[in-house]
Parts: sequence; C-alpha cells; structure tokens
Amino acid sequence: MLGIAIGVLFVTGLLSHYQYEPWSWLPEPAKPVWGYRLTQGIHVATGLATIPLLLVKLWSVYPNLFRFPPIRSVKRAIERVTLAILVATALVQVITGFLNVLNWYPFPWYFPTVHRFLAYVLVGSVLLHVGVKLPDIAYGLQARVREADVLTEVPWDENPESHSNAGTLPDPPTPGISRRGMLSAVGAGVGVVVLTTVGQTVTPLERLGLLAPRQWTKGPQGVPVNRTAEQAKIMAAATSPAWTLEVVGPRPYRLTLPDLEPRAVHEARLPINCVEGWSVGADWRGLSLLDVVLQAGGTIDSRILLISVEENWGFNHSFVEGPQLSAALLATHLNGQRLDLDHGYPLRLISPNRAGVLNTKWLNRIEVLT
Amino acid sequence: MKAWRIILAVSGIALAAFGVFRLVTEIAPHALLALVIWLLAALVLHDAVLAPSVVGVGWLLRRRISDRARRFLQLGLILSSLVTVVALPMIFLRGSQPAVKALLLRNYGANLLVLIGTIALASLILYAVQVARDRARSSTGSAARGAGE
Repeated sequence: MLGIAIGVLFVTGLLSHYQYEPWSWLPEPAKPVWGYRLTQGIHVATGLATIPLLLVKLWSVYPNLFRFPPIRSVKRAIERVTLAILVATALVQVITGFLNVLNWYPFPWYFPTVHRFLAYVLVGSVLLHVGVKLPDIAYGLQARVREADVLTEVPWDENPESHSNAGTLPDPPTPGISRRGMLSAVGAGVGVVVLTTVGQTVTPLERLGLLAPRQWTKGPQGVPVNRTAEQAKIMAAATSPAWTLEVVGPRPYRLTLPDLEPRAVHEARLPINCVEGWSVGADWRGLSLLDVVLQAGGTIDSRILLISVEENWGFNHSFVEGPQLSAALLATHLNGQRLDLDHGYPLRLISPNRAGVLNTKWLNRIEVLT
Repeated sequence: MKAWRIILAVSGIALAAFGVFRLVTEIAPHALLALVIWLLAALVLHDAVLAPSVVGVGWLLRRRISDRARRFLQLGLILSSLVTVVALPMIFLRGSQPAVKALLLRNYGANLLVLIGTIALASLILYAVQVARDRARSSTGSAARGAGE
C-alpha cells in the first residue's frame, strides 16, 4: 500500500513539475480542464494518507532495528544504511509536503526543488528496497498470514529460526489487536484523514472537512487566494485608473480599463487548482487570449508571455502556447462579479488544466514571442 | 526473480544517486546542511522518541488492561493518534495566514475532539457488541450443556 502510495505521489508530482517546466515540443494540453485539479488533488490526498501509512509501517518493522548482532555482514550493513536513507527521506518528504500545504516554511531551502530531488532519492530507495526484499514480498503475498513471517530481515527460506520452516505459528501469548484488526485500524485511520481533508478539493465534501486546511467557501467570491494583493505589493499599480494592458507583437497596441468591458464576453467554467491540493470550480468571464494575440499579429502557434505588475517574484509571469492558447481567458469577472483585487484585478489569466500559480494575476503586459 | 531484483536495485540506485547529485549540485550549502540535519532529526525523533513511546504505551496497556478490552482500546488509540498527528500542526498554525487565503481558518482543536469522541464512541460500541456476543455464546454454551444432562 505504502509503495503504491509513493508511486502515485511520484507520478502526480512529476506531472505537476511538467506544468512548471514543459518541453517546448510537447505543450501542456488544455483538456481535460480538470486534469491538474485531479492529479494534484490526488497528490495531496495521497500524501496526507501516507502519513498514517508510513507511521504504522515503521511501527510494524521497528523491532527489526534491534536485531542482534546489529551488523551481520557487509551486505546487511549496506542495507541498513540504505534503509536509514529510505526512512529519513520518506519522513521528511511527507512532513515538509504537509507543511507546504499549510504554507509554513520552517526550513531555509526552496520547497519545490528539494521536494522534487528528494523524491528521486526516496523512490530510488524504495525500488532498491523492493529489489532486496523481492523474495520475501513474493512469499508474503502467496502465504497465509498464520503460516508466514513476512517481517523478518532474513529471507524466510534462509532463516532456520523462521517459523515458516517449522509449521504454523501458535497464537501470541498476549492476544492484543490482531493483524486483521491492525489493518482495519490503519484503513479506518487513512479513511478518516482523507475524508476529513479532501473537502478542500472535492467541493461537495467541504462540510465534512474537519481537518481540511482550505475552505473554498471562505475565499473572496467563493475562491481561495494563495498570493494576496498585500503580499504581492501591487495595490497602487493594479488599482490605478491609468492602468493599461500593453500588448507587444508585430502590431503592438494598448488596452485601457474602459476597453476591457465590451470585449469581456467570453465565458468559461474552469477550476482554479493549486499544487497545494485545493481546488474549486468557478464561472469566469473575460477576453479571449487568442483574440488579443491575433489582433497583435500573432497566430494560434505563437508562444505568449504574460507579465504581472508585480515585481521581484519568480511567478510574476507565465507562458502559454499550444492547446491552452485557444482555451485561455483574460478574466475580468469571477462568479458574476468584477474580479476581486486578491484574485488579480483588473485582469488575470485563467486557463484549463493549469497550475493555479501559472494563471498569472494583475496582468499589464502580454508579449507575442514567435 | 533474480533478473527483476537486479533491475529494481540498479534502477533504484541510479535514481537515488541522480537525486543526490541534483541536490548536491543545485542546493546552496547552508540549505543542504539544514536538509541533512532535518533528515537525521526525522530519523532520531522517530526511532528514539516516537516509536519507543508507542511501544511503551503498548506495554503499559498489556499490563493493566484485559486482553478483550485492550483490543478495542488499541483500535481507538491507533485511530485517534493517526488523526491527531495530522491535526496537530493545523491546531498550532491556525490563524497564521491572511483571511483571503481561506487557509487554516477552522477550529481544528474542537474538530479533533469531535473526531476523537466519535472514534471513542465507535470503539466502545464495538467493545459492547463483543461483550454481548461473548455473554450470549457462554449462556447458549451452558444451556446446551444443561440440555445434555
């Protein structure tokens, strides 16, 4: 289970990384519009479920730590070191991942980069661990629980003390919770954690979200915000009546605030979905990005750079090309109201199947690059 | 099997080495040092503090509580502690973010109590069902013996 969870985390994590650094020959698709919402909802829900799974897994193998003699051979010593790497990276990955969801950064490194590289170390260690334990895993999956000892460090068929080689195991002297009871408890624990947190992305379950970090109903215009206007320090520039959108291309031009309203006739229902595992569908209205690009002399194959009034922040710009170009809106309205300042007033990008942070807010410049 | 083991181990080592290489070459030394400290701390805190306390609690329960009751107590405790691990950082960080982010606004402490209360109730009901079943079994057992006489 834990192995599957880590596999799911790795794949959904890489899918998200691709959003941030795509290869130019394979632009991010625009369909399905809920693609990123699904993969990142799964990533964070699985990550949260991994916390109980990991703790119980470590508890169940904890006695092996005290196996005596501690180092039987060079081979075992190496295995112990790799296991220490596996356990340490797994713990740090789930803890820092969770803290990132909570927007708390008590560490000096940049979270996304370290989370990604550490994931390679973790998944590599898991593959190695599975390779080492493969005979035990195959045996454990085939054998009946009472006849198998699947948690020994020594492969069962090389271990004369293994009860698999000496018949059925008697009941333990102090019958506490059974193996089946333990598995039920873990299943229920994972279930409770997922059910009470997943409301931050499965919106109908919001009321069940006793432990959900985000609450979409409490955000302005029914949508949470990640980077606030105050954090971004864009108040003056974004609320200025003299705001203009500069469109740079073969035929450059400018749009003023009054120019926006008559063009803001395109509507779309698109989710805004954050890599931190929350998402919510919303009704957007605005200008078609493609129309704006075509008017500047661009084409449907152009690569577009969108720039925010915000200064000094890594995500103050983003690129759109390929299928997303014809699907993207330059939004002026959200859920029937003029865009809130925290949502990117006067103009923001919203595109399907796209990481929330790449839907650049407070736009004032669009460049048609090719 | 042997081929699979080699493939898994080699690709695992390669992937992990690639991750370490990227970390060492792309992360600033002071951040890398902090990361190593975090990794060691996670290992030590888990293996020397968290796991022994769980084992200690288990040992205490085994000494003090009857086997039948202990099973249901264990069930309740496992569930509650798993939920608590997730809730604790949120209780600690509640209200730390600007309101518009709609993040960490709930009363996680109260919600955790609700969850633990529900878990306790469920464990208690399961325990009561078990006790009732055992009683019914022992009384039908003695009834059968009575009929045989």
